Amino acid sequence: MNFYYAFIVCVTYLTQVSQCERLHGQIYSSIEGSAACFRRLNGTHQMGCSSSDGGAVGIVQMIKDVEDAQWIIKNSTSGPYIAVVSTSLFQSVINMLIDDPSNVAGVLLYDNATMRPSSFSQESKCPNEYSAAPGSTCSSSGDTVWNTKGTGLLRKDIPFPIFFVPDSKADEIDKIEKCYNRYNLDKNNQVGVPLCSVQLHSFMYAAVNSAVCLRRSASSAFLTPTKVCDPLGDYNVYYSLFPRAQENETDRKPVTFVTARIDSASLFDGVAPGTASSVVGMVTLISTAATLSKMIPVADEKLYANNILWTLFNGESFDYIGSQRVAYDISRGSWPPVNPLSLSDIKLHVEIGQLGGSLDLFKDNVTWPLYAFTGNMLAEEIIEFLNDMTQTGNLTVSPILTSNLPPSSLHSFKRILNVTDMPELLLVDHRETFANMYYESALDMSDTIDYVYHNLTVGTNGEFIPTSDLLSKGNMTDKEPQVKISRVANALAQTLYKRVTGIPFVGVVDTSAHMVDEMLQCFLQTPSCRLLRAADFMSADHNTADRPASLYVGVATWASTPAVYAGHLLALLTGVHLGSNKTVCDELSEPGFSYYYLRGWNNTGVCVQTTMNFSQAVSPAFIKSDYDFTSNEFSTWTESVWQTMWARVFVTAGGSGAKLAGVTGALATIIAAFITYWLSVNSAVIFATSLDAPNPILRTVNC
Amino acid sequence: MDLNKLPNDKKLELCRNYFKVGCVFLPFVWAVNAVWFFNDAFKKPPFDEQKEIKKYVVFSAIGAIIWIIVLSVWVAAFQLNRVAWGSVGDSLSFILPLGRA
Repeated sequence: MNFYYAFIVCVTYLTQVSQCERLHGQIYSSIEGSAACFRRLNGTHQMGCSSSDGGAVGIVQMIKDVEDAQWIIKNSTSGPYIAVVSTSLFQSVINMLIDDPSNVAGVLLYDNATMRPSSFSQESKCPNEYSAAPGSTCSSSGDTVWNTKGTGLLRKDIPFPIFFVPDSKADEIDKIEKCYNRYNLDKNNQVGVPLCSVQLHSFMYAAVNSAVCLRRSASSAFLTPTKVCDPLGDYNVYYSLFPRAQENETDRKPVTFVTARIDSASLFDGVAPGTASSVVGMVTLISTAATLSKMIPVADEKLYANNILWTLFNGESFDYIGSQRVAYDISRGSWPPVNPLSLSDIKLHVEIGQLGGSLDLFKDNVTWPLYAFTGNMLAEEIIEFLNDMTQTGNLTVSPILTSNLPPSSLHSFKRILNVTDMPELLLVDHRETFANMYYESALDMSDTIDYVYHNLTVGTNGEFIPTSDLLSKGNMTDKEPQVKISRVANALAQTLYKRVTGIPFVGVVDTSAHMVDEMLQCFLQTPSCRLLRAADFMSADHNTADRPASLYVGVATWASTPAVYAGHLLALLTGVHLGSNKTVCDELSEPGFSYYYLRGWNNTGVCVQTTMNFSQAVSPAFIKSDYDFTSNEFSTWTESVWQTMWARVFVTAGGSGAKLAGVTGALATIIAAFITYWLSVNSAVIFATSLDAPNPILRTVNC
Repeated sequence: MDLNKLPNDKKLELCRNYFKVGCVFLPFVWAVNAVWFFNDAFKKPPFDEQKEIKKYVVFSAIGAIIWIIVLSVWVAAFQLNRVAWGSVGDSLSFILPLGRA
């Protein structure tokens, strides 16, 4: 009995002491925090990456210079290889690897904040080239291009998977490099030895093009009701200074249409910071709207005969999904759903385009030169608008008269509504070519515009410190992006004030750089910020993510957060704050207004009355029946479905063990065969039995 | 079942039934019939029912061969042209391939 107890104690002790790690865990080490390149499709092509169903396995090769990449392609002895390359070398080697992919299993791209490239853009040289309005001269194969640094990788079918490891996960790269240094350094001796390897798994379900993948998703064949792709899309956000719902056909106020875009893109899933590609423009629009709503209270609507309609488009990176839909809906008289806008109501369209790209260039200057592209300079509205803007804000806004407009929603309106004479204006901070060197890439981060968060206290009722106070107290300098953006927003607000009221603004309202500072933090650093906390629904759990939200438009079946953030910010900053509690707030229903019960600045809840609303940003291609996907009329982008994406590092065996096992097995078989043969030949000698006595088993069976 | 233990009339009945069943688009039954009764039809010493059995065996064999040819041609044509046929190819597919054309 004593022995039995001793045994139990011994076993229990051993299982607790010994490290019970699973064999799987001992072999593989997963690469955490990486983002994979995935497949997108349009009407005619598939683009992006996919691994095979089981994942791509390759030997690690750290790419320290271009020769390392050439070695993989030309001189390597084993293979295939996974090229581990930094963002600074990526653009020099990726085309080489794509052109000759026979020995390349995949690419692991890592970002190192200390050695970023001076340019990094996987977007094409002419973004949305095929959805451009007539008059555009940008051609990817020609000399006049907007995005000079664009490599066009985002629009290429890449034959192997690519994973991106952000700077915050540098320890994962250290892990791989350590493994590489231990096993793979001897380049000439890689046959039959253990080697450090990486497996990248990002198998994509969709293929060929959008028409094929949507057809396959729709077919509900027995056993395989698999959805293989989803249309790209999300929501546009719109808000009018005065409610438009009560207006009727005859006394509709003409509107000034002020637009910007929400989304950005990158090659990798969940990484689309879009700082200078879209955030600065969007923040400028929201700040302008917030300022104007303070200058003209919504209660004064009866006094004025003009209205402002603010719209934030989503999905603009992918052939202008949001603006194409709005233009299409306007053409069939169904946008906004309540009191639809007709083309003749729009007296001026101002698009706040790509801003922020040149902020770094002018970081030592107080000035920040802007450019206003317009196709019809002679329009009175344009001249007046530009004059007002330059005078009120003390800004330099140089007009550029051309039919070759930079990528912007203006293209959609010109193309779909077929208008040539609508006064339009595109505000950007670049001239012939983009100033943003990281256009729609994973590196278009807050340092692109030299943004540093100041973390100043917001008043209990959402009061921001006026820019003049910030400057006089030395909290900020007027060279900082927050101040420059607030000045542009302020000039825009004052100009729009004059458009609505007819007289220049003389009050004390001013766009606070403090508000811009807070708002930029929400979009560039973390959605768990003061402004978004205040703008969130009272009932919602607040997002505690510590990295910027991806501004990628995503698939239409899944609402992504940026549009919701932008909409709620507009509601909070421009809406009328009522004293009602939640029950009363939920029951309020004045036509033309929505009521949101938001968390508010004190976390106590506030009822906000706003005209802000959302509208679908799904391309007309997906709502028109029998649309021809090859017609190139509307955006046809879809995103492939995938099951999982993961990456792991491990050491592959040299193969000697497997060889030994094979040889032993073969020998054992031969010996066994030989012994059997020998036994059967000599059975009479070994098993000396009488032939007369038949086998009793055989005798009982009568077949 | 051991055919050798079956009386000849039963053999004929069995062979005829197999042929009939094969007529309802079951070429594999014809193929089995042809192989199974081959000895009785051609190798065994003559018996009364042999002529009938021979007839069914030959017809089963011819039918099975035609089926095999037709099916092989179709399978080859389908596999080679599924992608080119586009939506027709997809509608004819029982399992659609993931991640490729």
